Amino acid sequence: QLDRGCALHTAARGGLSSVSSQDVPAQRPRAIFHTSESDPAKHTEQHEGRLYNIPLEEVKAVFPHGLPHRFQQQIQTFNEARVMVRKPALEILAYLKGSNFAHPAVRYVIYGERGTGKTMTLCHVVHYCSRQGWLVLHVPDAHLWVKNCKELFQSSYNKDRLDQPLQASVWLKNFKTSNERFLQEIKTQKKYMWGKRESTEEGRPLREVVEQGLARVRSASDAVGVVLREIKQQSHRGSFRLLVAVDGVNALWGRTTLSKEDKSPVSPEELTLVHNLRKMVTNDWNGGAIVTTLSQTGSLFKPSSAYTPQELLGKEGFDALDPFVPIPVPNYSPREFESCYGYYLERKWLQHEKAHTEDGKAELQFLSGSNPRQLDRLAGPL
Amino acid sequence: MHRVGLLVCLCRARTRFQPGIFPAQSSTAALRDRAREPCGSSRGRTGPAGLREGGATAFAHSGPGPSRPPSRRAGPREERGGAGMAARCCQAGLSCGALLSQAVLSQAVLSRAAGGAPATPHWGRAAFSSAPAVSGREGPQPREGSVRRRGRTPQFVRSAAPPRTERMAVDQDWSSVYPTAAAFKPASVPLPIRMGYPVKRGVPPPKEGNLELIKIPNFLHLTPPAIKKHCAALKDFCTEWPSALDSDEKCEQHFPIEIETVDYVSSGTSIRNPKARVVTLRVKLSNLNLDDHAKKKFIKLVGERYCQKTDVLTITTDRCPLRRQNYDYGMHLLTVLYHESWKTEKWESEKSEEDMEEYIWENSRSQKNALDTLLRIKASENVSNVTEEELLASEVVKNYRNSVTALKNEGETESNMSQYKESVKKLLNIQA
Repeated sequence: QLDRGCALHTAARGGLSSVSSQDVPAQRPRAIFHTSESDPAKHTEQHEGRLYNIPLEEVKAVFPHGLPHRFQQQIQTFNEARVMVRKPALEILAYLKGSNFAHPAVRYVIYGERGTGKTMTLCHVVHYCSRQGWLVLHVPDAHLWVKNCKELFQSSYNKDRLDQPLQASVWLKNFKTSNERFLQEIKTQKKYMWGKRESTEEGRPLREVVEQGLARVRSASDAVGVVLREIKQQSHRGSFRLLVAVDGVNALWGRTTLSKEDKSPVSPEELTLVHNLRKMVTNDWNGGAIVTTLSQTGSLFKPSSAYTPQELLGKEGFDALDPFVPIPVPNYSPREFESCYGYYLERKWLQHEKAHTEDGKAELQFLSGSNPRQLDRLAGPL
Repeated sequence: MHRVGLLVCLCRARTRFQPGIFPAQSSTAALRDRAREPCGSSRGRTGPAGLREGGATAFAHSGPGPSRPPSRRAGPREERGGAGMAARCCQAGLSCGALLSQAVLSQAVLSRAAGGAPATPHWGRAAFSSAPAVSGREGPQPREGSVRRRGRTPQFVRSAAPPRTERMAVDQDWSSVYPTAAAFKPASVPLPIRMGYPVKRGVPPPKEGNLELIKIPNFLHLTPPAIKKHCAALKDFCTEWPSALDSDEKCEQHFPIEIETVDYVSSGTSIRNPKARVVTLRVKLSNLNLDDHAKKKFIKLVGERYCQKTDVLTITTDRCPLRRQNYDYGMHLLTVLYHESWKTEKWESEKSEEDMEEYIWENSRSQKNALDTLLRIKASENVSNVTEEELLASEVVKNYRNSVTALKNEGETESNMSQYKESVKKLLNIQA
C-alpha cells in the first residue's frame, strides 16, 4: 500500500503504477473519455471533453517549445501526450476552417482566468495547423523576451533599438525544428547584409538566414526580424498558410524589467524582437491567422486578478489588436472534469484509496473548483 | 494592583517584626490613603480593581460613622471573618479563593458606586467595625492571609443586591435611565453585551466591570424616543413647515440649493464655537442650465466635490471667520463656476484623448483600425469605390462602434464581451 504522505518521484510513480494493492475498479472502457481521432481537423462537438493522443514523434516535431512545463512532465510520466478537446479550441478551429484567406488575417485572443487551459488551447490549434501544413510561427511566451535578459546589445541595424541575442537564438533553434521544409522552400527577396562581410543574397532559402542567426549570435535578433518580414511578405501569395501563435501577447505592450546601461527603463518597442513581433500581429497581411493568448502568469506589473483583455493589454495593446475575436476559456465543465478525473484514474495517477470513491471525486471537484491547473496540482500528491 | 502589592509587602514586613501588635490606626490609615487615591477621582467611573478598592474603602469610610473610633475589640470571629474576608477580597482584588462571591461583592460595591443606598448598611457597619478589629490582631492577614482563611466558610453572608436591570420593565422610559451623556453602567443597561479580546478558547469578557465598555463613548442617551423628546422641546422655538412643500421633489424644484450649517451649544462661559462658521452648499447639476461642454468643464473644475452617482455638487466653505461671509463666498463660487464653464478658452481645443471623460469612438484608433480592415477586405474582393462614409453608415460598423464604446465606458462584463465578439464576427465576416 503506497503511503499517501510520501512524495514519490514522478518517474518512480510511473514505474510503480502497477503496484497497488487496491483493486482499482477503473473498469471504464477507454472509449468514454478517450478518442482515437488524433487529427484535430476531424474533431467536432461529439469529441468534446475527450482526450486525444498525439504521437510522441509529432510532439517533438511540432512542439519543440510550446507546451506548458507541467504538461511536458506529464508526457514524460505517462509516456503519452493526451490533450483534451474543448469548446474554445473547437470554436477557433471552426473559424479557421471557414476563414477566407484573401481577407486580412483575423486575430483571435484567448483569455481566461489562471490555469483554465489557454496555452493548451493554443497548442491544440498549433497542432491542427501543422497537420494541415501551415507554417507555424509559435512564440511560446512573449514574456520571456521582456524580462530577465542578461545581455542587451545596441542594434546595429537601428541605433535606438536593443538586441537580445540569447532569446533570439533560442527561438530560432526551435523555429527551425518545427518548420524544416518551409525554410527550404521560402526564398529571400532581398539581399541582407550581416555586418561588413557577410551577406545573404537574394533568392537564397530562408534556412540560410536562420543558420546565420544561429552561427553569429550577435545578429540573431536581426535574423529573426528578417525571417518574420520575409514570411509576412510572402504569405499572401498563397503558397503556404501562416499561423502566428503568440502566448502571452500582452507582454508586447506592457512594461519591461530591463534597463539600459544608464539605468533608464527600456520600453518594449525599443527591443528588436518585440518590435518585429508587433508588426507580425497587425492585420495588414493576409493568407493566415493570428491566434494569441493573454497570460497574467508571467506578466509584469499586472495584478494577479487581471484576466480580461483590457486589463492585461492596456489601452495601447487593445487599440493595436482591435478588432479581434475574444475567445473566453472557462474552467472544466462537469463532463470535462469527469473525463480528466477518469484519465488520471486510468493512468493510476490517483493512488489514494479515497480518490476512487464518489466522495473523493466530489471533494476533488470542490477543492479544485474545476480549475484544470488546480486539479493537476491536487492530483499530484494523491 | 502594584500599589496593593506594595502595601501587602509592607504589611507583611510589619507582621514579621511585630506579630499581633499591629496599630489599628496605621492600617486604617493605609486603607484611607488608598481610598483617597482612587476614590476621589473615580466615583462611579472606576475600573474593576479601582472600583473594588474604592468601594471597599468607601465602605470602610462611609459606613455609619467614620468618626467612630476604631475599636480594638476582638469581635466575634465570624463577623470579623466575614467582613475581614470581604475587605481582603476587596483589597487583594479577589486573588484569594473567593470566599465571598464576586457577584455579591461587586454588586454591593457597584450599588455603592452608583450612588444607590448601600444594600445593607449592616454590611457597611460590620465592615467598618470589624475592619479595625481585623487589622488589630491580624492586620496584615487581610492582605496576605486569605490563604489561612480559605478553609472557613463565612458565617456572615451578605446577600447581593440584584442589578437594576432585573427591575426594569420592557416598556420603561429609557431617557430617564440615561438622560445625559454618561458612562456605561453595566447594572443599568439591560443588554447582554460582551466586549474585549477573548481568552484562549473563550468568549469576550462580559459587561460587568468591563473597562473597554466604559472607556468608549456611547449614545445611550440619544435613542430615538429621547430625540423625539428633544424635538418636542425644541418645537416651541421653530416655525411651521410650509404646507405647499409636502414632497421632496417640490422642495428640490423650488429650492435646488441646500445650505447646511451647524450650531453648537456647550456648557461654558462662551457661546462662540469656531466650528459654527462652516457652510456646506449642495446642488444638483441637473438643476443648473449647462450644455454638454459646460457640464464637462464644470465637473473638471470642481474635481472631487462632484459625485457622479448622485449628480450632486457639494461645496464646503470655512475660510471666512463668519458664517454669513462663508455663505456669500459659497454662492460666489457657484456663480463663478457656472459662468466660467460656459466660456470656451482657446487652449481647450488642445484637449487630447487622455483628457476625455468618456470614450468617444469617432476619430479613435479603433475607428481607424476598423475602417482600414474593411477597406482591405473590400479591396481583396475587388469592390472599389466604397467610401468611408458609406462604411461608417453601415449596420455592422454601427454595431461594432456601440460594442466598443460599451466595452470601454462600462468595463468588461460577460455580456459586453460577447456583444463585442458578435460585432467583430459580423464586421470581419467570419463564419463558423
